[in-house]
Amino acid sequence: MSSMKSLGRHEARTAYVFITPTMLLFTVFTVIPVVMALYLSFTDYDVLNRMNWVGFANYERLIHDDLLWRTFRNVLYYAVLFIPLNIAISLAIALLLNRAGLGVKLFRTAAYLPTLTSAVAAATVWLWLLHPEYGLVNALLGYLGITGPAWLAQTNTAMPSIVMVTLWQSVGANMVIYLAGLQGVPEYMYEAARLEGANRFQSFRYITWPQLKPTTFLVSTMSIIGALQLFDQAFVLTQGGPANATKTPVYLIYQQGFNQLQMGYASAQAFVLALSILIFSILNMRISKSDETFV
Amino acid sequence: MKRLGSVLLTMVLIAALTLLAACGKNDGAGSGGNGQGGGSSGGSNDGKSSASGGKPVELTFWGDWGGEGQKQFETMVDAFNKSQDRIRVKYVLQQDMITKFLTAATSGGSPDILFWDRWRTSLYAPKNVLHPIDEYMDRDGISRDDFYGEALKELSYDGKLYGLPLTVDARALFYNKKLLEEAGVEPPATWDELREAARKLTKWNGNKLEVSGFSLSDVGLFNMYLQQAGGTMITEDGKTNFNNEQGLSVLRFWDQLLNEDKVYKIGFEQGLGEGQDVFVTGKMAMHYTGPWMLSTYKKYGNELDFGIVPPPAGPNGDRGSVMGGFGLVIPEGSKHKEEAWEFIKWWLANKDNALLWAKTSLNIPGFKPALEDPFFADDPFWKPFLETLEFAKIRPQHPGYSVMEVDGLIPNLQLFMNGDLSAEEALGKAQEQGDRLLRENADVK
Repeated sequence: MSSMKSLGRHEARTAYVFITPTMLLFTVFTVIPVVMALYLSFTDYDVLNRMNWVGFANYERLIHDDLLWRTFRNVLYYAVLFIPLNIAISLAIALLLNRAGLGVKLFRTAAYLPTLTSAVAAATVWLWLLHPEYGLVNALLGYLGITGPAWLAQTNTAMPSIVMVTLWQSVGANMVIYLAGLQGVPEYMYEAARLEGANRFQSFRYITWPQLKPTTFLVSTMSIIGALQLFDQAFVLTQGGPANATKTPVYLIYQQGFNQLQMGYASAQAFVLALSILIFSILNMRISKSDETFV
Repeated sequence: MKRLGSVLLTMVLIAALTLLAACGKNDGAGSGGNGQGGGSSGGSNDGKSSASGGKPVELTFWGDWGGEGQKQFETMVDAFNKSQDRIRVKYVLQQDMITKFLTAATSGGSPDILFWDRWRTSLYAPKNVLHPIDEYMDRDGISRDDFYGEALKELSYDGKLYGLPLTVDARALFYNKKLLEEAGVEPPATWDELREAARKLTKWNGNKLEVSGFSLSDVGLFNMYLQQAGGTMITEDGKTNFNNEQGLSVLRFWDQLLNEDKVYKIGFEQGLGEGQDVFVTGKMAMHYTGPWMLSTYKKYGNELDFGIVPPPAGPNGDRGSVMGGFGLVIPEGSKHKEEAWEFIKWWLANKDNALLWAKTSLNIPGFKPALEDPFFADDPFWKPFLETLEFAKIRPQHPGYSVMEVDGLIPNLQLFMNGDLSAEEALGKAQEQGDRLLRENADVK
């Protein structure tokens, strides 16, 4: 018995040694900066020569900062469009490609390809595809007799355009995650369902979907985080315009900190962003958890 | 609970990602104060200690121009290094230069000469990170009248001058000669003529705009139009000054062009590269741009025959354009300010060198005597710009001006162009939001 204990202690010690480098890096590059940022959010730090304690002044200013809330509304609108579509499309593609057959690998690769492109390069190409007069998208619509909008220049179509571009780029990666999830669903369940006379929709509804819960949770959480931190595509495609319709919190924080040198206030904004990501992730966890156990 | 813990951990990580840039920099600033600073400027320290012994002083010159721009800078640096043997300058290309300068300014390792976007002066000078050059100017007898006054004003804060102008620019009206000839119109000199010309030059094919008469893509040019209408962007006491008759006349003018005369379609120019630029391909007859486009347009010289005139005057004959451009400044953290000044003086306050710079980079230098050279005086492309620069004004020197313009004014102007707001509503909202942004960003000390 005592030898078991000492073995346990030895194992624990080894484990600590193994995780030390990671924890050290994590502390230096993550924990300390976050704590410092929290401190800075209560100061008027300007990077150059002042750092006075201002109490809750930054947070009070936040409440009246229409532009910040506007950017939050923007990313929420983005999330509402993006997350369900992202799950639906990547799952659909995964279901289509979850079989052995000639050319399936080719299609999988093709679906994954956009993910490998740099966000900025892809956005630059889309900028051209979405051009109102010479772009491919409106040219195709033109064959159907539809006069396409000025996608990125109109307040009502700018955000949906960004959703479209980011979807194109992210469904590939999520498809791979779903494929992995689908391979993990045991075949005997489908067999049993077939014996019970379940049709394809029923076996999807009662076997595939519940079995994929953990996968969906992962995909939706990553999407929420990605949505709230949206930056590159919005920056390249529209520079936050027109009329701030696509401006995002991350962009605003950068501008406040590095262009206006109000790093204290920018830290406060960043904390509100981090907090909202936390809230939405917990919400997502509760929803995913509500009907069944998982993970 | 365990799961919540790991989620929390993830959240901390995300917060860190959001803040990493900010804090990483700050971290460096805090800890690098003694050790790092000495290390990175070790080379120049050596130079200083032995300068009297004949070894040249080494200066670091930071800029964020790469590619062609880097070659142009290096041409000047090489010429300077050859001209004497006391000082050696080295150009260092810095991506994200301003952020790096913020770190360097507080932690040592500061460059000796900094390439400077002039409008930033009113934000940075009060923080004592730039070195005033008034003493040097007086000592060496450099006359301020030799430079564009507006450019010097933009480099000044609280009565002190912080640098000399490297380039000056302003927008003027570029027009496609062939299209104007075909339509039988002369380059416009007033708003009325501009409207008339734009109307005649525009060609629609059903719902498709084939040739736009005049570009209305950039509502950020509001400042210029407002000057032409006889207005100013902000008042002496730092409030917005465009929600008035002058501001309205600009929006009415845009409204006529866009909705009555239909000379433009929103989004027409967006996302096209250099080769498909609508002005290059003859799908846009007139637009406002600056001297920085000259080399691009000359490259397409065979197909594109273009001319330039100063911006047309407004209803009461007021003229206006916005002057911008770059300068060179000496950071307070430099250990060789005297030598840095020598370099700046050689480059920017000397006729031959300013001209060499102009010819190398195709920019208008801030030093006026250089402009008397035939290179500028006899050139049909430069002349309209020199004329425009005579009345062009810099942006207001309020530290919150650019945020006010970008976040308060432009979004509302875009809503107006989109038809979502009336002219009165747009200016009203812009005033309300703009005044708040000016107030919140006014304090820089």
